[in-house]
Amino acid sequence: MAKRDTRCRLMAAEHTRLLALVMGLLLASDLYAADLDFNRDVQPILAANCLACHGFDAESREAGLRLDVAEAATSELDSGATAIVPGDPAASELISRIESDDADLVMPPPGSGHSLNAADKQILRDWIAAGAPFDQHWAFVAPVRGPLPSGEAAHPIDRFIGERLHAAGLDFAPQASAETLLRRVHLDLTGLPPTLTELDAFLAAWADDPDAAYEAAVDRLLASPHYGERLARWWLDMARYADSNGYSIDGPREIWAWRDWVIAALNDDMPFDQFTIEQLAGDLLPDATLSQKLATGFHRNTAINQEGGIDKEQFRIDSVFDRVATTGVVWLGLSIGCAQCHDHKFDPVSQRDYYQLFAFFNNQDEPNLALTAEALPFPETAPAEEKDKDGNIKPATTSLVLRERGEPRTTTVFVQGDFTRPADEVTPDTPAVLPALPRPDAEPAPATRLDLARWLVSPDNPLTSRVVVNRIWQRLFGRGLVETENDFGLMGTPPSHPELLDWLATEFMHRGWSLKDLHRLIVTSHTYRQASVETEALREADPANRLLSRQQRLRLDAEIVRDTGLTASGLLVPAVGGPPVFPPIPAGATALNQVKRDWKTSTGDNRYRRGLYTFLYRATPPPALSVFDAPPGITACTQRNRSNTPLQALALLNDEASVEMAKALAAIVESDGLEQAFRRCTARQPEPSELAVLTTLTPLEAARVLLNLDETITRE
Amino acid sequence: MKPLHVSETNANLLQSRTRRHFFADCGVGVGAMALGSLLADGNSAQANSEPLAPKQPHFAPRAKRVIFLFMAGGPSQLDLFERKPQLDALNGQRIPESFTAGKRFAFMDSSNGFNLLASKRTFAQYGECGAWVSDLLPHTAGIVDRLTFLKTCSADLFNHAPAKLFMNTGTGQFGRPCMGSWITYGLGSEATDLPGFVVLQSGPRGPRGGAVLWGSGGLPSSYQGVPFRNTGDPILNLSTADGIDTPSQRRVVDAVRALNEQRLAATGDAEIATRIAGYEMAFRMQTSAPELTDISGETSETLGLYGIQDPGESTYARNCLLARRLVERGVRFVQLYHTNWDHHGGPTENLETHLPQISREIDQASAGLILDLDRRGLLDDTIVVWGGEFGRTPMGETRESTGRNHHIDAFTMWFAGGGFRPGLTYGETDEFGFGPISGATHVRDVHATLLHQLGLDHHRLSIRSQGLDQRLTGVEPARVLHEMLT
Repeated sequence: MAKRDTRCRLMAAEHTRLLALVMGLLLASDLYAADLDFNRDVQPILAANCLACHGFDAESREAGLRLDVAEAATSELDSGATAIVPGDPAASELISRIESDDADLVMPPPGSGHSLNAADKQILRDWIAAGAPFDQHWAFVAPVRGPLPSGEAAHPIDRFIGERLHAAGLDFAPQASAETLLRRVHLDLTGLPPTLTELDAFLAAWADDPDAAYEAAVDRLLASPHYGERLARWWLDMARYADSNGYSIDGPREIWAWRDWVIAALNDDMPFDQFTIEQLAGDLLPDATLSQKLATGFHRNTAINQEGGIDKEQFRIDSVFDRVATTGVVWLGLSIGCAQCHDHKFDPVSQRDYYQLFAFFNNQDEPNLALTAEALPFPETAPAEEKDKDGNIKPATTSLVLRERGEPRTTTVFVQGDFTRPADEVTPDTPAVLPALPRPDAEPAPATRLDLARWLVSPDNPLTSRVVVNRIWQRLFGRGLVETENDFGLMGTPPSHPELLDWLATEFMHRGWSLKDLHRLIVTSHTYRQASVETEALREADPANRLLSRQQRLRLDAEIVRDTGLTASGLLVPAVGGPPVFPPIPAGATALNQVKRDWKTSTGDNRYRRGLYTFLYRATPPPALSVFDAPPGITACTQRNRSNTPLQALALLNDEASVEMAKALAAIVESDGLEQAFRRCTARQPEPSELAVLTTLTPLEAARVLLNLDETITRE
Repeated sequence: MKPLHVSETNANLLQSRTRRHFFADCGVGVGAMALGSLLADGNSAQANSEPLAPKQPHFAPRAKRVIFLFMAGGPSQLDLFERKPQLDALNGQRIPESFTAGKRFAFMDSSNGFNLLASKRTFAQYGECGAWVSDLLPHTAGIVDRLTFLKTCSADLFNHAPAKLFMNTGTGQFGRPCMGSWITYGLGSEATDLPGFVVLQSGPRGPRGGAVLWGSGGLPSSYQGVPFRNTGDPILNLSTADGIDTPSQRRVVDAVRALNEQRLAATGDAEIATRIAGYEMAFRMQTSAPELTDISGETSETLGLYGIQDPGESTYARNCLLARRLVERGVRFVQLYHTNWDHHGGPTENLETHLPQISREIDQASAGLILDLDRRGLLDDTIVVWGGEFGRTPMGETRESTGRNHHIDAFTMWFAGGGFRPGLTYGETDEFGFGPISGATHVRDVHATLLHQLGLDHHRLSIRSQGLDQRLTGVEPARVLHEMLT
């Protein structure tokens, strides 16, 4: 292997246009005060157009100019010119260059793929005239909890969102109907639609007191064992969980006990800081318990190449690269992986910083942990145990874990990310731009994964809490407050509501990193509870819904499409945890890879388990899940696609599992009538015009229609 | 994964196409006013509408579609196209250290050898161009004047799955969009009843790496390759379930549409319009895909051209014919995988028995495809690519029989049609065929060239995904191989 291509150079013309568009919109509608804000207004222009050649990466820096820090940008260059003379645009070389008509002088250079429009140029000119104040990039400064905006809303979130809506002359949409709201919060918190019993009880309570009924429902859902399943799936995407080794051989592996650890931890509302520490370094905790060792499976979800003829060291290092990149994106929201081959082009992460992080993950063995039934997160799910010839119980379950090596490996920088080209030796440390790792001793031992994990969730870390609350926000609204939820660096989009993001991030930490509290806080806001209907007026005023003038219809995640069908048809077996299962899939679906894998379809209860438990082969993922964008567990997936394709229609119309659900629902149509079947799928009463269509059909046809409705597979 | 940044131009095109499609093709019964207003805004939800509608390329294209004949496992260029008398003369001797110093190879710890292995094949020059072809490929030899040979392609990775990914996505990392996805993303598809990107497979097993080879990475799944299967339904879930007849299926699809239209009116969500179109396409595919794979209407002369003996048998030859039928129907990118070219010398994969066998499996059909496309006027704007993920070493591996190791410094590919210069051989390798002595070329250059012929600038065809702007050709230099083009 020569070098790993990290593709960090950004050809950002398109990006610039979009940013300019967005910014133009925001400025035009006077949403902000007239003052320029460096992070919001200026930095994105510099990042998109200038920093590739005048940024952090010394190797690609042109003319000795860097525009990412004030001191360098305002110093005299070798050429004698000064790019930025604070307060004096006319004397600033930057202004004369961006306004030059001379193709040899104009910046960005023609053919670079970058260009500035008139609005960009005006912003740069105004900014320099105002003294060219640089700020540290917002995401590298710890969140500051500002005062709540004034307003009448009781809920803090509604104050922040309302302030911006009102400034734009808009208001919230009305609250969604009781049925829509209950179905929404059910799907978001547990991934299961309400049963008719739950629905009817809720409607009765709502008639008395809507707020009380809703809050009680939220409490009930957060206490449900299915909450942990729903949130676990969110986490498993980031952990790149799968049940096979990946690459071409893709043999099965056993790591489901770790998946169950996640479900149980989330159901127990384990504080997110502890959740982090146990997964990254549970084995290093004093007197580590079996459960804490099991938790380290997080970073064993890397692929393993079983192909012949490979260099094992190469693939071991590849999995360390993956661990560094995954840690960077999941906790810090940074594309740290870019610094594997060279200094980061845009973010202040040097290649040395990268290998210092690498050093934390370079010293582990990768054993299997044997688990007896009692050691499992859900002991009742344990496969039958066998006894050895001495009558001792042999654990039937193992799980992949990390364990620190006695003999540490030496870590070096790799030239161009190529492990055959070691360079300077490095020791474990965190990136210089972020707060330093606390090292109490004068001559401390080398920092460990445990130090790293604690540092990630220390209150001084400016990123982790923001990144997590932003992802929960994204889960509940379809888009994060920072739209580039996996890039909080200089190339990321600035937050749409920076004060709210910081308020939530600090609130999350104040509440002891409780994810349940965070969910409760958000879903009880009116911002969350409002209707998702898109009127023409709203589309005009807030076309992409960045101001949150309404909720957002979101197509359900792949596993939840399945879970919804199983629940509506009454087939769901709601057991929590245990070994992965094999529901029906199309014949031959696992035969596309080098090694054809058997798929022994489960019978009995395991045929009807939640999508979360379906066995996932990385090379040949279950079609009914991948067609709805379930990630194959190859790299950390922090945001799923929501595609909308004809193959999804074929899966819902014709797949054996779909037809089985339809037959079960058809029986319900016959026994309970069309209206009840309709409510099981959508939670609402059908309109007469809808019933009119359905009554022309046979029960099976009607059931198939209901399970194929856009509304059934959408959270409204 | 994040929403795509569709450029304004594309968004406008998309919208006008969507509007046209709905009124002209779908006859969706939504009030014209409502739909008009739906499509008038530029919000990002629109980006999902009609993702496969044809789009304008960056500049005038020379070709419209691609058929990629992927020889999975790494064919031996030294036994097919590269005649090296010096290699034959020094058979059994150690390759000079200057060639191998500092190089890494697959199977370094076990079977990799350093002794040169002569080819057992006989070579001759063919056609007006005088291209060398071995006795293993007589039909290919007969069409060399229509082919453009590249002798010096190089890659970065020498294990199968990563190297296949590299050839398809420009990186060995998983989760990146493949060439076919990029191209359908850039150009959409002209097929109204079939997917825009289809994958066909033959040989004893699937290609190593599996579905990621035709995955769409950070692009929406609309652009991922749809594998057609050789047995049963050509597309997963294509057949209506047992006991459900076509009229019933039609009633269901019609009722789904009627209710979805009501929901569209109630919620104003354009995604519902896309879903309505998706159900119509799915229903049409239920007819069009079986029609596509039913080759009983092809003449015996055509079957003979491809060397198809039993039209019902799933073979590479049948897949070549299906490829022609797919591009005839407007499919943008067709990729055929044929296994297994991994001739290390073991009892089931050696140069003596198995290379001749697999060469027979692909020779006549590949040539037949070129001739058939040509006589139907399709070759001019269809690019056919032949090649594997890498080639094989001049050094032999002697296991039970003989073979060669994986080699990435210089391997042979050929191209036909779509503005490639017929009869040209580009690039020359050293006396052993180890490395280039002129015309050194990289997989990225091949990518840039294919995109260029399709009217796409490899610098501009990019998306922002996982915090980065991604392109098929990545960040390293890539150049369009103008010397190989007309």
